[in-house]
Amino acid sequence: MKFLKLEKGAFSFHISERERRALFKLLELYPLVPASYQKLSRDGGKPEDQQLLEDALNSQRNEHKAQVLAMLQTKSRFQSAPGGYQFNLKPTEAEWLLQVLNDIRVGSWLLLGSPDSMVKIFGALNDKSLPHFWSMEASGDFQMTLVHALTGGGGTPPPSTETGEAIM
Amino acid sequence: MAETAMPEIMPDLEEKEASESKSKSELEPGYLVICWNDPVNYMNYVTHVFRKVFGWNKPKAEFHMLQVHNQGKSVLTRESMEKAEHYVHQLQKYTLHATMERDE
Repeated sequence: MKFLKLEKGAFSFHISERERRALFKLLELYPLVPASYQKLSRDGGKPEDQQLLEDALNSQRNEHKAQVLAMLQTKSRFQSAPGGYQFNLKPTEAEWLLQVLNDIRVGSWLLLGSPDSMVKIFGALNDKSLPHFWSMEASGDFQMTLVHALTGGGGTPPPSTETGEAIM
Repeated sequence: MAETAMPEIMPDLEEKEASESKSKSELEPGYLVICWNDPVNYMNYVTHVFRKVFGWNKPKAEFHMLQVHNQGKSVLTRESMEKAEHYVHQLQKYTLHATMERDE
């Protein structure tokens, strides 16, 4: 997926058919991160406060899930273009899609056992973990394009070595 | 001179004072919003989230992102309990590892 332009308050991306299928496949996974993953404070805090936090996160995820489904069902979202489609998103939609994709990325990482380096991920790859690795990397790739657009980028994103370094 | 009549029920001053004290404590900027190192999040994603949530400029957002990266955590702001909760929730919506801690 490539960022094309920001016009009339909406971002336009070019997305191939294969990328579009991959994006839809990824979005089916949402939500992946359990609400209990997030803590209000380092020591856990009061159980009632933690419950409130988890309720708020679950509510927000349900809202996002509905938005994702609505997006999947809107045919005008993807307009035919040479080599694929023009994919249009308003900035607010790009923001929640970014949140959804990062949930999938972090959730996939958790399913891989929360490795702290790529070496450990590659060392433990097998038939069972490979789909999680794919969803972590693919969601990260879409995220980078969205961040590039949201931060005022133009054309194609810079090489991943400059923009895609994870905090590891 | 007329005497002032004593109320039959005295107000619970201690309870009121405690309540006022608690409210004051919650309003004081005594809570730190901390972002912890998280090996999965991209650096420019974290920078973007900091800018979005706090309205910071890029250099400030990058400074805190690099602090997380190099030192394991960064204190992002010091706020009242209510505001700190708000910020933590905003950061967690983006699946960043953020907590609020009482500033001792």
